Amino acid sequence: MKVEFWGQEFKVNLFIGIPGAFLIAIASSMFGFGGGPFMVPLMAVGLRLPMYVIVGSSLLAIFFNTLMGSFRHYGFGNFDLIFFLIMFPAAILGGYIGPKIAKRLNPVIVKRVACVGLLILAFQLLGVF
Amino acid sequence: MNKKFLVILFASILYLLTITPSITMGQPSQPQEAQSDSAGKSEVAIQIDKKTLNNGGKVIVSGKAPEGKPVYIEVWTEEKVRAARLDAEVDKETGKRPYIFYMTDEMPAFYNLLFPKEFADTLEAEKKLGRKWSVSALLRNTGATAVFEAPAQAKIDRYQTTLWASIIGSRGELLPPMDKSENKRRAMQLVKAKFRDLPVVFKANVEINPDGTFKAPIELPSNAPPGKYYVVAKVDKDTKSETVFFENNITFPSVYLDNAGRTVNLFVPFLLTAAVTTFGVLMGAGGGFILNPLLVMLGLPHTVVAGTVMPTVLFSQGTGIYNYSRIKFISWKLGITLGLAMLAGGFIGPKLTELITLDQYKFLFGWVLIILSALMFWQTTPKYLERNKKEQAILKEYQRRAQEAAKKKEEGGK
Repeated sequence: MKVEFWGQEFKVNLFIGIPGAFLIAIASSMFGFGGGPFMVPLMAVGLRLPMYVIVGSSLLAIFFNTLMGSFRHYGFGNFDLIFFLIMFPAAILGGYIGPKIAKRLNPVIVKRVACVGLLILAFQLLGVF
Repeated sequence: MNKKFLVILFASILYLLTITPSITMGQPSQPQEAQSDSAGKSEVAIQIDKKTLNNGGKVIVSGKAPEGKPVYIEVWTEEKVRAARLDAEVDKETGKRPYIFYMTDEMPAFYNLLFPKEFADTLEAEKKLGRKWSVSALLRNTGATAVFEAPAQAKIDRYQTTLWASIIGSRGELLPPMDKSENKRRAMQLVKAKFRDLPVVFKANVEINPDGTFKAPIELPSNAPPGKYYVVAKVDKDTKSETVFFENNITFPSVYLDNAGRTVNLFVPFLLTAAVTTFGVLMGAGGGFILNPLLVMLGLPHTVVAGTVMPTVLFSQGTGIYNYSRIKFISWKLGITLGLAMLAGGFIGPKLTELITLDQYKFLFGWVLIILSALMFWQTTPKYLERNKKEQAILKEYQRRAQEAAKKKEEGGK
């Protein structure tokens, strides 16, 4: 498929893009997370697209997944209204504070900290310790 | 193209608005019928020392039963919650995996069965089996099968699940209802699926004296649901006391999560969500990756966590898309093409959440996090950073141009 973006044309290999997006959507809606951190590498490495094409378009693709996943979870009775009402304002608050702090921090260090944190969490989940 | 997005956003808001009333109105909890019968009353006497509790606590049950008989005490709440389990274990007779999905919405949100103290060793032995402990074996070994009654009354639906049914996102074919004894057997498995750890449900703490008087503490944890709790002392199926009840009140900041069947201090998930989403912004990944495992570790059911965290990010994603679309920074063709593939995936995923157990959820999520951690590490390697630097510069340049173009258009329009 050919995609035009700001006067430039890109070839997108749908044989990688569609199965990849499909599988990421299954996993992320199953576990209940967004899927962005997996979609961005898929589009950057798998589809060889530059970052400026990815940022907006990946968000749009993920939105479809979140919308459908939310409907389906609701249909299966997995949605808890009070729990949602607690988390929703907190998520907006976090989205407001985050960018303000982001400017003062070195992104590489943040990512390395996240890396270690995620590993600790992973080992906890796997019951290693 | 802008309009298309607005329609989606509008539809999702409308959807959220329409579902709200149905949830607040739904699920009236029917109090369980008192199971007293006149014959039982005379044989077992029961009293409790308190009628109300605030945010959990301890109630002492005492009474008198026929001499030399074991006394079991069953405690359950009127609040109901969902319990589900996929039976995929190999059937010993046929050698096949049945793949039957058992589900009830009538499991008591709190259930305790207290045994005479003499069974402490039996409980300990069953607990040592770890994840393989079984409710039915425990009840058999303690002679309590007949007194296990409150969860057995839950109406359990069963579905024949197939791979195809899971793919199209269906629970499968609804099988005919089970008879009473089969329902009870499945209820035992669902008790384990819901409460997981043996000591949460079964305790050996009924003190019985030679003259038949007995005494036992009922301990309600602070996460216990509010409402009425029923207590019955039983010797066997027909010899039991009348049903007495006490009330548990919860006060702010504790709130009861209906679908999770749990009381939480509302500041805990609030602060956790705020902290994790802030950090999520910093590391450039949504907060769900960290938030979900933490919430699951707090003891909330993984189905409710997944189903409730997902809609919370809808709004921020929507505003993000809107902001990008204003400066025409979205390739609609690319986004919608991949989006349709994700739409199909998002249809299937939530079905799978329901089929897996909490342990499987943790295991799979653990591996997802290891992959994510590797991706994060890759993003901090010098080679990636160098490439990223150039890309970011181009990104900023394009964004600037896009913003200018959008501005010009606006001015031109005036």
